Amino acid sequence: MGDYVIDVDKVSVRFNLANQKVDNLKEYAIKLAKHELMFQEFLALQDVSLKVKKGESWGLIGTNGAGKSTLLKVISGILQPYRGEVKTKGRISPLIELGAGFDGELTGRENIFLNGLVLGHSREFMEAHFDEIVEFANLKKFLDSPIKNFSSGMKARLGFAVATVVNPDILIVDEVLEVGDYNFRRRCNERMQQMLAGGTTLLFVSHNIQNVKNLCQNALWLDKGRVRMAGPSEVVCEAYRTEQDRLRREKKEKKREELRKEGKPYDYLVVGAGLYGAVFACEMTKRGKRCLVIDKRDHIGGNIYTEDVDGIQVHKYGAHIFHTSDKEVWQYVTKLTEFNNYINSPVAIYKDELYNLPFNMNTFSKLWGLKRPQEVRERIREQIADLNITEPKNLEEQALSLVGRDVYEKLIKGYTEKQWGRDCTELPSFIIKRLPLRFTYDNNYFNDRYQGIPVGGYTQMVEKLLDNIDVMTGTDFFAYRKEHPGMFHKVVYTGMIDEYFDFCYGHLEYRTVRFETERVEEENYQGNAVINYTERAVPYTRVIEHKHFAPEEEREHPKDYTIISREYSTEWKPGIEPYYPVNDEKNGALYEKYRELAEKEEDVIFGGRLGQYKYYDMDKVIRAALAAVEEESRVR
Amino acid sequence: MSLLKYRIKTFIKYQDLVWELVQRDLKLKYRRSFLGYLWSVLNPLLIMIVLTLVFSNLFSKNIKNFPVYLFTGRMLYDFLKASTTNAMKSVTGNAALLKKVYIPKYIFTFAKVTSCMVDMVLSMGALLVVMVVTRAPFYWEFLLCPLVIVQLYIFCCGLGFFLAQMTVFFRDVQYIYNAVLTAWLYLTPIMYPLEVLADMKWLVVLIKGFNPLYYYVAQFRDLIYYGRLPGPRVFFGGWILAFVMLAFGVWTFQRAKDKFILYI
Repeated sequence: MGDYVIDVDKVSVRFNLANQKVDNLKEYAIKLAKHELMFQEFLALQDVSLKVKKGESWGLIGTNGAGKSTLLKVISGILQPYRGEVKTKGRISPLIELGAGFDGELTGRENIFLNGLVLGHSREFMEAHFDEIVEFANLKKFLDSPIKNFSSGMKARLGFAVATVVNPDILIVDEVLEVGDYNFRRRCNERMQQMLAGGTTLLFVSHNIQNVKNLCQNALWLDKGRVRMAGPSEVVCEAYRTEQDRLRREKKEKKREELRKEGKPYDYLVVGAGLYGAVFACEMTKRGKRCLVIDKRDHIGGNIYTEDVDGIQVHKYGAHIFHTSDKEVWQYVTKLTEFNNYINSPVAIYKDELYNLPFNMNTFSKLWGLKRPQEVRERIREQIADLNITEPKNLEEQALSLVGRDVYEKLIKGYTEKQWGRDCTELPSFIIKRLPLRFTYDNNYFNDRYQGIPVGGYTQMVEKLLDNIDVMTGTDFFAYRKEHPGMFHKVVYTGMIDEYFDFCYGHLEYRTVRFETERVEEENYQGNAVINYTERAVPYTRVIEHKHFAPEEEREHPKDYTIISREYSTEWKPGIEPYYPVNDEKNGALYEKYRELAEKEEDVIFGGRLGQYKYYDMDKVIRAALAAVEEESRVR
Repeated sequence: MSLLKYRIKTFIKYQDLVWELVQRDLKLKYRRSFLGYLWSVLNPLLIMIVLTLVFSNLFSKNIKNFPVYLFTGRMLYDFLKASTTNAMKSVTGNAALLKKVYIPKYIFTFAKVTSCMVDMVLSMGALLVVMVVTRAPFYWEFLLCPLVIVQLYIFCCGLGFFLAQMTVFFRDVQYIYNAVLTAWLYLTPIMYPLEVLADMKWLVVLIKGFNPLYYYVAQFRDLIYYGRLPGPRVFFGGWILAFVMLAFGVWTFQRAKDKFILYI
């Protein structure tokens, strides 16, 4: 037996299913006459072994009917094994189900004795410990009233107090702590911790995996009467949870498959598997609706799609950094997937000079060698005053009047001209309304409370959103609609709004970018994720080095190569990939006309950047999608 | 041998529990009622008065003090009935507990029979009242009646064990047993003298030979009603039947007890 307090050795427990259903003589006689009393074997436990040392705590986990309670019964001697052997050392004290050991008619005092004796204590012992029990249960006032008048919480307290009056060698807890109020549970937990510290061995059954993790060092996972896994509770619980998730998903998938085969129409046809569509579909599915998500591209994720290239997550459609001050949205995404602590601090290169962005004290001290904010403010004020611009006629004058000559010429001029493909003097002033200057040494580009990038990239995050939802990539909406007219009740359209209406009022314009991505056989190409080239002579606007978006991945799996993308601004023509809506009067008015059409379109929701012709940060997209879900749920 | 020792040791360990359970049964019986213990006396008295009114006319020629005659038989029957029906449900009724804690399962059955026995002893007060009121003579043999009670107690334990384990597997045993009890009542000379069956010799032989309760009622009446020592046939027969029943009950119970948990 060695050091083990509990030694379960290859135990099997056999039930006879056929017999158990017969519980009266009449049926028995009938079955006997009909020769139906076959032996129908059912092994509730099969070759289960468990060796527990003194002071260990073990959680038993598994689905209903996995054999957890059966194992406890075998250990406490209530049930005899059919094969195998169980040895225990010391006194076993089970925490009995609420009220099972109590007689409602008897008083609290009498029940304490009865319960104690049931647990195998002597009368003498109970007398000696009576006060202790009453104190822990905190029921002095009610000692002499019948226990049937007790609340369930009071009964639970009393039961726990009696069961734990003395540190048992082995404490068995089977799902009893889920009752009672918070305070009681806390006290029970404390008491159990105490007992564990005092050398008590704990066997704990719970459906609450978190409880098992908190209370037990070890866990045993039973599955259909067999040991599936045994070991540290963290590991076993995690494996169990994963398996449960998998089974649940499979079940759902099967259901989905069936519905699809039946050809039942979808509640929503979501056009575009980008962030808006994915969030919408995910939330609606949670609310019991059936969604089909289609996308013209051959992948999901829309523009936040990240592609695994040689182990590096490449932001295919430009750098995406998640940042938000919306706590709910942050909680929403972090619940979905893990985020790293990436903070965007881009660097600008002008000729051979290098400046920090956004415009902050680091930038200014590099520009002018100044150290204190007051000096910088003074310098900018002087530069602006020198120019004496009262009414800016174009973008150049607008920018100059906001930041002065040095900042404008080195950091704004060339970059903006490359972006728009025109001279700043030819650009309208309203493109820049304000240029934030920061008088601290802070290179964090965003002012938001929360910031980061999903560990493993954005695609897996969207995959999680679209988990268990029918998705068809490479599918064009207009073709699909033509071929399957009755397959959906409502449409969520996140494509270009003008395209939906067949460009009847003409094309909306976009600012668009093009990427030249290449693999460089160098461990670290530019030392930062984003570097802006603010000089007009350099053809590209930015260079992105993707591995720096995921420093945690690089730390874990260092690579001696890197992937970079040069970003070029391109003139937009109908038919090429649209990126940023153009925020000017002409396009605004055009969109307004399309919006009016959209409003008349019944059973279609227009959403997202292209559907609403609006520049959306990712957090705002999620917020908008959630709002649409709310709206939809309310309407119904 | 060591198994027996172990059994005795566990019994000693749980004897406090038996006593506590017996106390519980008695307390609950008396606490909740206004008259308390008096019920134990009043109840049989009232039934006896009714029965006496009806039956004494029927058999008055043959029996001189019908109330005492009736009472001596009825008391034992009531004990048999109460103890065995309670014992029958003792395992299934404590299912919730037995599923969670290891307790020797016979404890509950044993405690039930014991508490009924104590209850019967307490209700002997009613017998005394009847005897005083009807001016029945008291014989010294009265003092020997514990001997009979012990026999019946042992018998009821045995029967209780048997019924308790049967009930676990077949719930309808309860109804069948109810019918048996009724038949048993009428097949025992409790409300009538055995002589009325003189025309049916075979039935008398059957009752005298194979109705265990007859052995105990006969002894009891010998001691209290007739004031004489029982004959050796009923006396030794009573003991033998008691132990045979106990052995049978224990044997069936032991054989089945490990399977209880699967059926309760």
